[in-house]
Amino acid sequence: MPSDTAAITDQLAPSAQNVSWGWVNPWTIGTAVIAGLAIMPIAAIVWIAAAPGEAIWSHLASTVLPGYIFNTLVLMLGVGAGTILIGVASAWLVSTCRFPMQTMFEWAMLLPLAMPAYVIAYVYTDIFEFAGPVQEVLRDLFGWTSKRDYWFPEIRSLGGAISMMTLVLYPYVYLLSRAAFMEQSVGVLEASRVLGRGPWGSFFSVAFPLARPAVVIGVSLVMMETLNDFGTVDFFGVATFTLGIYDVWLNMNNVTGAAQLALTLLIFVIVLVLAERFARAKKRYYVSSGKYQPLPRYQLLGPAKWLAVAVCAAPVLLGFILPVAVLGFYASAHLNQFTNSDMLRFAGNSILLSTLAAILAVLIGTFMAYGIRLRGEKLLKTIVRIASLGYAVPGSVLAVGVLVTLGALDNSIDGTMRRSFGISTGLLLSGTIVAVTYGYLVRFLALSFGSVEASLTKVTPNMDGAAKSLGHGPLSTLRRIHIPMIKGGLATAVILVFVDAMKEQPLTVILRPFDFHTMATIVHEFASDEQIGEAAPAALAIVAFGILPVILLSMAIRHSRPGHSQG
Amino acid sequence: MEGLHIHGAAHAYGDNQVLSKISMVVPGGELVCLLGPSGCGKSTLLRLAAGLEVLQEGSIVIDDVTVATKELHVPPEQRRIGLMFQDYALFPHLNVIDNVSFGLLGMARAKARAIARERLDQVELAHLTEAFPHMLSGGMQQRVALARALAPEPKLLLLDEPFSGLDTNMRASIRQMTLNVLKQSGVATLMVTHDPEEAMFMADRIKILGRGGKILQSGDSHEIYYHPNNEFVARLFGFMNTIKGTVQNAMVQTPFGPVPANGFADGEPAQVLIRPEGIVLSSGGQDGGESSGGIPVEVNSTHLLGHFSVASLKIAADRNGAQEFYVRVHKEFLPELAGRITARIDPEQSFVFADDATVPGEPMLDDLNILSPELKTLLSTGLEPQDKVQKQAEAAE
Repeated sequence: MPSDTAAITDQLAPSAQNVSWGWVNPWTIGTAVIAGLAIMPIAAIVWIAAAPGEAIWSHLASTVLPGYIFNTLVLMLGVGAGTILIGVASAWLVSTCRFPMQTMFEWAMLLPLAMPAYVIAYVYTDIFEFAGPVQEVLRDLFGWTSKRDYWFPEIRSLGGAISMMTLVLYPYVYLLSRAAFMEQSVGVLEASRVLGRGPWGSFFSVAFPLARPAVVIGVSLVMMETLNDFGTVDFFGVATFTLGIYDVWLNMNNVTGAAQLALTLLIFVIVLVLAERFARAKKRYYVSSGKYQPLPRYQLLGPAKWLAVAVCAAPVLLGFILPVAVLGFYASAHLNQFTNSDMLRFAGNSILLSTLAAILAVLIGTFMAYGIRLRGEKLLKTIVRIASLGYAVPGSVLAVGVLVTLGALDNSIDGTMRRSFGISTGLLLSGTIVAVTYGYLVRFLALSFGSVEASLTKVTPNMDGAAKSLGHGPLSTLRRIHIPMIKGGLATAVILVFVDAMKEQPLTVILRPFDFHTMATIVHEFASDEQIGEAAPAALAIVAFGILPVILLSMAIRHSRPGHSQG
Repeated sequence: MEGLHIHGAAHAYGDNQVLSKISMVVPGGELVCLLGPSGCGKSTLLRLAAGLEVLQEGSIVIDDVTVATKELHVPPEQRRIGLMFQDYALFPHLNVIDNVSFGLLGMARAKARAIARERLDQVELAHLTEAFPHMLSGGMQQRVALARALAPEPKLLLLDEPFSGLDTNMRASIRQMTLNVLKQSGVATLMVTHDPEEAMFMADRIKILGRGGKILQSGDSHEIYYHPNNEFVARLFGFMNTIKGTVQNAMVQTPFGPVPANGFADGEPAQVLIRPEGIVLSSGGQDGGESSGGIPVEVNSTHLLGHFSVASLKIAADRNGAQEFYVRVHKEFLPELAGRITARIDPEQSFVFADDATVPGEPMLDDLNILSPELKTLLSTGLEPQDKVQKQAEAAE
């Protein structure tokens, strides 16, 4: 039997654990190489930014930089505040109260996660701009004729960008704070009631402080996404760092300047990463006893119950249902787009790139997670931590880093080839899908690694021991115990990376080959030309793929309810 | 009238009737213990008294104030009660002193902290005021929880399985300290537990709650142990040797001789329950002790378990060897040295009840017999191995 032979060969082969080579082992070296490749773009930015180039920094600092900083900060704070308000309120209602449609909202609150901010930005601009239906109706109603007759908020503004991003990013805060509220032992809240505080007092003195680390994690993820956004700020013309980098890079053609801006933006990122790490460390202590009871819920009555419905329904309607309806309406008028050969080619590009990124990311993620499991040494853990920093780095920053890295590599290959063989290879990798995939991998490695690592924890160390004691070596154990147990986690990781890669805009826009489009870039292109109708079918397709992770998450929510799983 | 008065409280979760018309009183200054297996509704009764569940029938009065009827529900924060949770429910984001002063509302912070400090001093934790709950051992957490519940000087204190989270070594000392603190404060206390030993140690009065939420017997520890008024109560304290028979001439026949039928009419089926310590062994002597009224037995096995031994034995004359009996002996018991042995029944430790197969609680004890070897059954004085299950669950996480 093949499995038996495998077991025997496993035993004969020197096991990785038996031989202690220190850091010289396939796992550590392999992971170090991966980490090196992952950190390269960021290192390149630091290198270039520090290099003496044109003295553009002082120019930038005296002109656009204060604006970038101001806009970026206001955007982050605005989106942060908005997502806390919506996310925490809806999570609290859904996890502690009983009101109409409450169980549906438990998962429905996640729907806007499927919607990239740039897509709803296009949709709402179409609805709220001067020539849009809302202002038209208002003008008809009140007999206004020109812009001067009335005031209407400008959607293409900083405030507009804050609203758009809040509407699609609050699910991060919702998800994490909901989990935190569910984790809180009911006893803690009841203890607060018995000790004399009412429901509101208990929320502010116990429930919210306990959920605070989770909220901080959620908000730092939201802010990382905010920094990553390109489509919205570009479309609204809000001069943030991302836009500045793009502008200095492509329009002013200045590598050093772009790198210097990127480096400044990285400072914001570091603050966020530290906040997240700190909150995660703190969160461990905030989990009270492992005993759960089914949560008793407050039954909301009368107006309170309809207010709760409104609080939960509004973000879902505005962040998902309305935009999908509008896109559907436009798409139905542009059905030919679905069969248009260009469009199909772009869709094919999207699927090709996303599949490539997803499979590679999960393979690498599995390699790293398994390496840590087999050899849980500190060095390896540190390397992995560095390798997965990319998730926090905005796409625009990574793009610049990737271009610089690959450009240097191409140049050196070209130089070597010319010196040795007199052949010029030109730019081998820059401006190819290799560059785009590289960028995706750096950015999404943490996602795949995290998913694989989480599912690996299901396999307890004793199971490894059991397999070993029954005569299975590491490879046989991997094949017969680990892979069957984590394949669900692997599939989840593939889906998550696939969908995120499909939505990815800034990396793709900067790194794509000339005249090469994915759905995300063509949507941007159409929208920039105010051709929302033409953009609708592709935008709708992106949203449709985005539903996949939402389904996964809502299934996880259903299974993870502590009160129900423990009985 | 000080204390807690419950009249005709009934509660159902859907179709599941967990409490049926319970009435009871916890007088001021007394400690009443509700003893029963899990699922008998004892925690529900606590939660009703605390206001964490809405009363469906009956009424609850605390210190002459009606806090719950079918129409009235005073929210927990207005009842002025203290509740100590089984998992303590300490606030993990607050340090010890802030936990204890949490319930001291409407007074200056300095005063609240002074009171909290006093309470902590009482439970010998004054040196840990700034520590956070996750830094404390289980026993310390329990004491913080006690101090927190007592700090606002509640009119009634409710304790939900207060010692179940502690390991055996610590339990005795914490129990003693808790009892001292409660007696000092003089607060009316209602405690629920599934551990008979705990109830006997702590309570002025024990109420046995059976399945379906009925109070089966009420009394002090002596009454409950020596005069159980039904089979369920008798079996609470662990394994029982059971002999089934029919009443004849106001006696039930057992291999150890006839036992007075305790009022059952002739011809009725009855059973005799004998505690393992209720079979008294004698040895030596020419007649092997037969003169003292014992009958000869054969010892099958014996195990030393610390301060006592258990032995399994058969009636020597009973060649078919149908029934094995278990005996607890308070010293090391070495039958091969003992020669001939006789056994008799201690009437104080044996009880006659109707042989009613449908007595509540019996199936559960049968489960226990199947689950564990006889030895464990003998050892378990508790109703259920709940602690063990909990610990296993915790270890698995």
